[in-house]
Amino acid sequence: MAATVTKAGTPYKSSGMLIWRLFFGLFGLMAAGVIWFSTARPITVLPRITLAPGFYLSDQNGERFTSEDLRGQIVLYNFTYTNCTDPCVATSQVMAEVQSRLLTVDASVPLKLVTFSIDPDRDDAAQMAAYSTELGADGSVWHWATGGAKQLKSVIGGGFGVFYDVREDGRFKLDPAFFLVDGSGVIRAEYRTEEPDIDIIMRDFGLLAAEVDHSEGIYRFAYEAAHLFSCYPR
Amino acid sequence: MSGATEAANSEDTKVPFWKNQIFRLALLGLGIGVGLGALFLAIRPLFGPTEWHGMEIQSNLPVTNFTLTGLDEQPVSLVDFRDKVVMLYFGYTFCPDVCPATMVELRDAMEALGNRAEDVQVIMITVDPERDTPEILQAYLAHFDESFIGLTGTPEDLIAVTAPMGIFFERHEGSEASGYLIDHTATVAVLDKEGKLRLIYPFGVTGEEMAADLKYLVRE
Repeated sequence: MAATVTKAGTPYKSSGMLIWRLFFGLFGLMAAGVIWFSTARPITVLPRITLAPGFYLSDQNGERFTSEDLRGQIVLYNFTYTNCTDPCVATSQVMAEVQSRLLTVDASVPLKLVTFSIDPDRDDAAQMAAYSTELGADGSVWHWATGGAKQLKSVIGGGFGVFYDVREDGRFKLDPAFFLVDGSGVIRAEYRTEEPDIDIIMRDFGLLAAEVDHSEGIYRFAYEAAHLFSCYPR
Repeated sequence: MSGATEAANSEDTKVPFWKNQIFRLALLGLGIGVGLGALFLAIRPLFGPTEWHGMEIQSNLPVTNFTLTGLDEQPVSLVDFRDKVVMLYFGYTFCPDVCPATMVELRDAMEALGNRAEDVQVIMITVDPERDTPEILQAYLAHFDESFIGLTGTPEDLIAVTAPMGIFFERHEGSEASGYLIDHTATVAVLDKEGKLRLIYPFGVTGEEMAADLKYLVRE
């Protein structure tokens, strides 16, 4: 009699319970996976903040220099003028230090630095070339560029959102800022300070380089998931 | 006696593997897993595309407003389209290749959207204000879709609009027949109904792919 009860009754009851347990178990596992991915952040990415501006300028060699020339490359931008004393000296030193450490980044795409002069009246190609040489700029890595005052305002003020204005004594009021732009021309990080942490800039170069290296195949979905779950560096 | 009983019990417990409790549980788990996966795939489109066909931008701020000149010299501002998804393209009517190819894809996207196309506005901003008057622009765009809008402005205005949108353009000499040509960035920028930049399409994305993304954006 007891055996009949076991065969006829208990299994049905326990199977129903089991299905629900398995259902909730798997659902819980999926939810736990999502929570783990978004909190443990096994993959870290930089946000796609907005488009970097397009430009058509001339460089320290007097040659045309455009935003399209930098497609597919990871670029750190900053802004200065050669007669600047403060805060440009500090920002130029940051760029020089970053240049010296670029080789430590494991990257399959070129890593570049670009400095825009906001003083086109005084900073012609020769002046930019002389100043960049003083700073130890490698012309193949660190480009200097300038252009018409209105275009510069559209690019630097309108595109990067950096305030600058000329004073009566010819000096400029300039908010110090650096921007890291990916190969698609999207701003991925900004450092609005005179002396940003160079370790963080180098880390960010590394994150973008890693994302480029994993932009195909199954890894691409993992990286897109990292964007979806805002897996940004802390 | 005891040994014989154990042997008999052992014979009883040798059931076929498909009747094994653990096998059945594994099968059940697999079935539920597949079912959950199928359910997820079925409802996933309700929440958004599995993959955008352009580069997604995570900007929290609307694109800075601008005002340019439309048909009949009427000023047209970006904020005029705040309740529509806006597709911005920068090109010119004398463009021999990239621009007409892109406009065809934009037209195909509108056609694929059907009734929802009325929630989308395609705007072409010229990078050749010298030759592209508002009338020439509108006549050109009407070849593709009557609803497309063409805008122009002074060279300074256009630089102020194009630069922040990541657009570069440069004039250079062409043949005697074509006149001068303009190299320009050939991306399409997609703004949502709040004016935020959401997607960037590189050249080559098809109208069908664009429509697949737009159907989510118009629903937001």
